[in-house]
Amino acid sequence: MSNTEVMTKMGLTRRDFMRATSAIGAAFGLEATGVMSLVGDAQAKETAAGGVPVLWLQGQACSGCSVSLLNTIFYTTIDDLAVNTLDINFHPNLTAAVGTMAVAQVERTYRQGGYVLVLEGAIPTGSGGKFCNLWPGMTFDKAVERYAARAAFIMGVGTCACYGGIAAAAPNPTGARGLADSYGGKRVVKIPGCPIHPDWVVGTVAYILANGTAPALDAYGRPTTFFGRRLHGDHCPLKDRGEAHRPGQGGCTKEMGCRGPKTFCDCNVRLWNGGASGAKGVSWCSGAGAVCVGCTEPTFPDGMSPFYTKIE
Amino acid sequence: MSTTISISPMTRVEGHLDIEVTVDTDGAVQQVIDAKAAGQMFRGFERILVGRDPRDAVQLTQRICGVCPVSHGMASSLALDAAYAVTPAENGRIVRNLTLGANFIQSHILHFYHLAAPDYINTDGILDMSPWRPHLSSPDMVTGSAAAALVGNYVAALSMRRKAHQMGSIFAGHMPIAMNFVPGGATKPVTAADITAFRALLAELRSFISNVMLADGEALLSLFNDYTQIGTGCGNLLAYGVFDLTSAGTSKLLARGRYTNGALGTVDTTQIREYVSHAWYTANSGNRTPAAGVTEPAADKDGAYSWIKAPRYAGAVHEVGPLARMWVNGDYRYGISAMDRIVARALEAEKVANAMDGWLSQLVPGGPVYTHKATPSSGTGVGLTEAPRGALGHWAQIGSSRLTQYQIVSPTGWNASPMDDSGQHGAIEQALIGTPVRDLKNPIELLRVVHSFDPCLSCSVHLVRPGKKAEICRVDVAAGV
Repeated sequence: MSNTEVMTKMGLTRRDFMRATSAIGAAFGLEATGVMSLVGDAQAKETAAGGVPVLWLQGQACSGCSVSLLNTIFYTTIDDLAVNTLDINFHPNLTAAVGTMAVAQVERTYRQGGYVLVLEGAIPTGSGGKFCNLWPGMTFDKAVERYAARAAFIMGVGTCACYGGIAAAAPNPTGARGLADSYGGKRVVKIPGCPIHPDWVVGTVAYILANGTAPALDAYGRPTTFFGRRLHGDHCPLKDRGEAHRPGQGGCTKEMGCRGPKTFCDCNVRLWNGGASGAKGVSWCSGAGAVCVGCTEPTFPDGMSPFYTKIE
Repeated sequence: MSTTISISPMTRVEGHLDIEVTVDTDGAVQQVIDAKAAGQMFRGFERILVGRDPRDAVQLTQRICGVCPVSHGMASSLALDAAYAVTPAENGRIVRNLTLGANFIQSHILHFYHLAAPDYINTDGILDMSPWRPHLSSPDMVTGSAAAALVGNYVAALSMRRKAHQMGSIFAGHMPIAMNFVPGGATKPVTAADITAFRALLAELRSFISNVMLADGEALLSLFNDYTQIGTGCGNLLAYGVFDLTSAGTSKLLARGRYTNGALGTVDTTQIREYVSHAWYTANSGNRTPAAGVTEPAADKDGAYSWIKAPRYAGAVHEVGPLARMWVNGDYRYGISAMDRIVARALEAEKVANAMDGWLSQLVPGGPVYTHKATPSSGTGVGLTEAPRGALGHWAQIGSSRLTQYQIVSPTGWNASPMDDSGQHGAIEQALIGTPVRDLKNPIELLRVVHSFDPCLSCSVHLVRPGKKAEICRVDVAAGV
């Protein structure tokens, strides 16, 4: 089977991906700034010789954000991204090469510059950074500094990378922290979530490819398209569904501890784990009778726990 | 002269893993004569959990590993069920199994096609771009139309594993992290519509597993039959068992048990001890049961090379995983090897998926999913279950309604452990020793053996980078194009 045949089997071309991304926003009544208008520009940026180079590095991560990214379908699928749109020159869970062969590929991308650097997981600063070592002589904190220098765009994926997240929870045994707000004057685009919703990452990448610039960000570096509105509000599908006081009752879980009033994300309109392009997902945390744990906020988890306790 | 092969980073595993082996010629065969497996990341979860509301453990421990979070949710919930002295509602027990089953299917498909299969397929001319190129090469790799067919299934498997998560999300709220586990049961009321939607996705997955994945597994078994003699390892198997069929947990889809020195046996958790002679912990942290576990770092300790403690059952090394479960349960007794691990994993996916269809029929729409019990002021509980990659245990203690102690013994702790106090190598190390290496620059055999265990380093909780080791004649993996 030729390369073209494989792509055909995958059923999508790069052009399809860019068209799919145009579905963002309007359907869910989200802020649609910019991303709506990416189609024309993005197609102009298609190049014959492969896609946009990406280096994806993991620090104190659980790979949950990478696994969640594999679930992408609203804008496009992961095979389309990998084959047609991006050159994923390193990803710890996907890269075929190992050892020095893999590191050489990272360094080649670094020398060429102009890549999208994606960082997943927190940065441990204790013990000289040695709580997380990527390969010989390369701790994660060193890697962040090195590979940020020649990146065109820097993205933090997941609350650990953005703000420290779980790894930085008290007593923060390893001195973990999230990414800085910027490196060398380049502002970091932060996509928090524990894990991230794949649409947040793919939609943001699409915007960057289309516009050559980062989307509008809030004070915490988050794209306002996805994180511009509080979860709790009149738009919540559980608003008039009665109050649940215990698991298994269904309805609004505010009395049980839902962190919606303190959390900015679009989970309750976008929903998770959808099954088709452009379609809403299947469910979300409070929709499953559980509580939103506030995982997209810089204060997660300590500022949000105990989770099953009503917000005062 | 012996040669050291160092693989850092090992990719297509969860987390940060280093492999270092010494290769020499023995009996005219160039093979591994010594091996070390060590991880490179530490977060300190057990310390983070102490002092928190016990219920938070169900959510926080799922963030140990994004590939097998639901297993941590299950282990934590079972430990807290015991500590709270609560029996989960029947619907809750079943929904937990269905959610965990969905992730088993997701993880097994991901491992088979996306983590392991690239070691057996030459993708040149098919996928000529990153992340599939460059790659190690070996003359025995599948090429041509057979390779193209496998790549086609690799792509199909991407959407299949996504659908497995979609299916789990129906009850879980979202995947990979499941929101619906709580002590006492689950959170979402069961509806007929949810059962129907779940069953439709399950039917699609069952068809893929039985018709595509098992066929590909058989093809690999046939083409790489030499790997039924490679990566044999310690030969001892341990399973805590999983998918409780009664709320008491006395009957399980996959039974608890072990296979030690060629004989089947029962599991008594008091026989589990963790050793630290080759791990960077104080002597006080060693030779303890998990319930009494202590984790005191000793970063400069002589003779240590890993931050994984070495769990042993009655002093003996055991491997864990789908092969251990299927063997103990009597479903698979062909052999213990790299290829047997892969085949047993595919067969287990089919067994679990088929069972799930029956569980859906046992759900009672509108029936209770949750039994309430307030957080006790004190209590203890053990949660024994299985992650897709092997036996997982959580040990919890509650005092003043807060967690006072929390210990986790993970599957990759068993499999990727360092040497113990008796000088016994861990399971992956033993499986590597004796592995033939044809080409020192393309040691694909090592990847196949390591990947057969489906290592998950983030689960190994205690890990940190190993110390610098002596070099004999270090060669690195071919630097590629």
